[in-house]
Amino acid sequence: MSRINWKQLSALVLLAAMACTTLSCAVASSNEVYFGKTTPPARNILRYVTGEEPESLDPAISNGQPESRIYMALYDGLVEYDPKTLAPIPALASHWRANDDSSEFTFYLRRDGRWSNGAPIDANDFVYSFRRALSKQLASRNAYMAYLMKYAQAYNEGAVFVRDPSNGKFLLAKDFDEHLPPDPLAGSPVDAAKGEYQTTAEESQEPADSAFHQAMHTPLRLTLPGDEKARTKLLNADAKIKEAVTGKELVPVKGEDIGVEAIDKYTLRISLTLPAPFFVGMLAHQVFRIVPRQVVEKYGNQWTQPAHIVTCGPFKVKTWQAYHTLVVERDPMYWDAATVKLDEIHFYPMSDNPTIMNQYKVGEVDAVLNHTVPNAWLDVVRTKKDYMDGAEAAIEFIIMNTTKPPLNDVRVRKAFNMAIDKEAWATWRKIVKPLTAFTPSGIFHEYPQPKGDAFNPDEARRLLGEAGYPVTKNSDGSYSCPKFPANQIEYIYNTQESTKNMVEWMQAQWKQNLGITVPLRNMDWKTFLTLRAKLDYVGFARGSWGADYMDPFTFLSLFYTGGENGSGWSDPKYISLLDEANRTLDQKKRYELLAQAEAFMLQAQPIIPIHTASVNWVKKPYVKGMYPNAASLYPWKFVYIERDQAKWDVGTPSLAGGY
Amino acid sequence: MFRFIIRRLLITIPTILVVISITWVLIKLAPGNFYSGEKRLPAAIEKSIREKYGLDKPWYQQYGKTMWNIVRHLDFGTSLRFEGQSVNTIIRRSLPVSAAIGILAYLLALIVGVTIGSIAALKQNSRWDYTSMALAMLGISVPNFVLGPILVLIFSLSLYWLPPSRWGGFPSRNLILPVLTLSAIYMAYIARLTRAGMLEVLRSDYIRTARAKGLSEKDVLIKHALRGGLMPVISYTGPALAFLLTGTVVVERIFALPGLGNYFIQASLNRDEPLIIGIVAFISITLLFMNLLVDIAYAYLDPRVRYH
Repeated sequence: MSRINWKQLSALVLLAAMACTTLSCAVASSNEVYFGKTTPPARNILRYVTGEEPESLDPAISNGQPESRIYMALYDGLVEYDPKTLAPIPALASHWRANDDSSEFTFYLRRDGRWSNGAPIDANDFVYSFRRALSKQLASRNAYMAYLMKYAQAYNEGAVFVRDPSNGKFLLAKDFDEHLPPDPLAGSPVDAAKGEYQTTAEESQEPADSAFHQAMHTPLRLTLPGDEKARTKLLNADAKIKEAVTGKELVPVKGEDIGVEAIDKYTLRISLTLPAPFFVGMLAHQVFRIVPRQVVEKYGNQWTQPAHIVTCGPFKVKTWQAYHTLVVERDPMYWDAATVKLDEIHFYPMSDNPTIMNQYKVGEVDAVLNHTVPNAWLDVVRTKKDYMDGAEAAIEFIIMNTTKPPLNDVRVRKAFNMAIDKEAWATWRKIVKPLTAFTPSGIFHEYPQPKGDAFNPDEARRLLGEAGYPVTKNSDGSYSCPKFPANQIEYIYNTQESTKNMVEWMQAQWKQNLGITVPLRNMDWKTFLTLRAKLDYVGFARGSWGADYMDPFTFLSLFYTGGENGSGWSDPKYISLLDEANRTLDQKKRYELLAQAEAFMLQAQPIIPIHTASVNWVKKPYVKGMYPNAASLYPWKFVYIERDQAKWDVGTPSLAGGY
Repeated sequence: MFRFIIRRLLITIPTILVVISITWVLIKLAPGNFYSGEKRLPAAIEKSIREKYGLDKPWYQQYGKTMWNIVRHLDFGTSLRFEGQSVNTIIRRSLPVSAAIGILAYLLALIVGVTIGSIAALKQNSRWDYTSMALAMLGISVPNFVLGPILVLIFSLSLYWLPPSRWGGFPSRNLILPVLTLSAIYMAYIARLTRAGMLEVLRSDYIRTARAKGLSEKDVLIKHALRGGLMPVISYTGPALAFLLTGTVVVERIFALPGLGNYFIQASLNRDEPLIIGIVAFISITLLFMNLLVDIAYAYLDPRVRYH
């Protein structure tokens, strides 16, 4: 017997063995109700895979979702996310009031808030934490989330006010910008007789006035760049400001100028630049969670080390082994410790999906992060009663470079959009919902989401022909578009299996319906981001976005730019529609205006919507109080281990009803 | 011999500095930043971040500062992604994990590989020889990202015998699958190297002389043949062990181990400049040091090799 035969034989044997094990595994698991073992852990511990290794335990630093979930265990804010709807529920603020145009909010803090070292929490902790999160020195990537607060952006950017030394008065923004919206109530003189708050069940009196409050209630001041070069450039471009600024003194915007004030120890007032009815909903974001001043000032960037860290959430740090486990334990000092049912949460940083699913199957972890079930596993896992299905506040789309031919022609962009059968894609991908708009479907219930163009290959071919690229039908029924410069464009995306499947699917659609084969090019995430941001590509680029907060504006704001959005598209009309919407107090009317803006953007078609994502994760049936909400953020104090099998979750728990 | 070692050590230092410099240039040329994400940051925040980490300074100042800290204090700086964590600490923390798995895997590979290789050489062209060499071929051809999941499928997901992943300390059952996965290819390679080395040596004159002198077959094989036959294995050990010690990207990823390899790949994807430089420098030091050890071992094992 020759060697070659031996090798072939052994290879065959191994292949057969592999096939057998895979098959037997698949068959064995398809009879079970749940995916893998369902023995609850001996102690009240939740073992949860949260995704990548956390960048830092400092809530102001990271903007990643894995970190957000950890911050929710360790830090409290004024409000917390509702475990099902993600609407704000009371946390360190027991209740709050908005003024008549939602441009100023007063929060009443609970008196039993404590840090994990036992020190009491008061309004000054919020003032400190907000100022710190916005400071230029910290350079938080999340700072923009807090820009609605008066002068927050100016402070974060290191801007300066302009003061007239002769009378001490500041120059005002409205004198130099006629497009500026009128000042809201929070920026208008205080009318003590009338008051600006409605009486609520808890509070009948107007919050106390103060000198700071009076100062906030003045028209918005003019701010100029703190950087001398940028300022000179701006002044040279605008003679009116230049003249007004000459001879005046420049006063740096300080942390103390931001519109946040401790009225007394347990009352906090926040003033905004614009009315923003959705502002309270943003306050559960990590950038608004508080950090301990004394510890931060004592240890600098080492304050989050387990030896030093002091926290204020339902859990506190016990041990932290990087890339292995972060153990947090119940904090007896926490104001709501009675609600906290878990003794510990073990956060496992893992990012390889099959590895995570294996760990889950053998029962070494109890729940995993969103988007974890690989495509190829869905057929099996989706039939199990521990699979978490549900719409996510996240969308997938294609960005087009609108600055370079041939996609600078809106007809071509529309043709490529209409040539994709999104229903068919959603069926193939099994768990996503087809999308024709730029906001996710089924998330913002009151929002009159506009519809973009539907799948219409005939119209797509007609539009291409109109744009000068006639599509002809071949004798075999296929199409070709010989004049289209397909070899000069490409479809760029980041290296990732699920993304690869998707872009290949889209490529096939265009080939099938337009006869155009768009070349694909994959690259690593950071390279991809750079090419896209610099518009250093011709054709198509992958796009995706998950909500920062529960409002359609978090999606629409991606194009609230001067074109720095990967597409090069920008339109003043779109921006003014959004501005107008955000100045509108009536929620229904505001949503209508936002929808108008969205419809306008869809008509310009800088993007091709693909789908609304699905949360797509698994949790053991004995893990209760954890719901597949649209942002995959879980207030951990409500989560517990249920040992009574009769009370286990069978199937995806409902998001309806209270928690 | 002593002078040789000193000379080699002296060459090592500039070599490492060149490696670091090349790495530094490559990172600077790679598009993207550690802070870039799906949504573009406002320009002002981007500027603040660059100022905070000194990325706004001219390139020669950044390079100079990096090199000075390394040369003067052996300090590789602070990770950009992991706020406040020093690169030196990260390396010190993750090295034992990689080293434990690497050394175990290599020891296993050495014992099994040398045994199989020797048997194959002694029984050349027998069924033993063909079987073991076919298996070795398979070991070399099956990449560890295929072997690992197959082992997990069998021993964890079907039989529930061993944990499928994660670090469990040393020693622990968690080590078994990653060590097996990692050692397979080395085992196979060592078996083939041993077989080839032994075959060559067994035909050489000094073995014939040893046999002619009337030495027992055991003495001939172990004292003379194996010593000569293992020379290729020794020279392979240096670089192999260096790579195993400093982390194996794929196996650490599949088994979610907190080793250097995992950090290395993530640091590159995250554009974490100080961390990449620190790990590259560490790997090259280990590699050069291992090669030096190999050369010394050569001199010891092979009387024909002399260093001046």
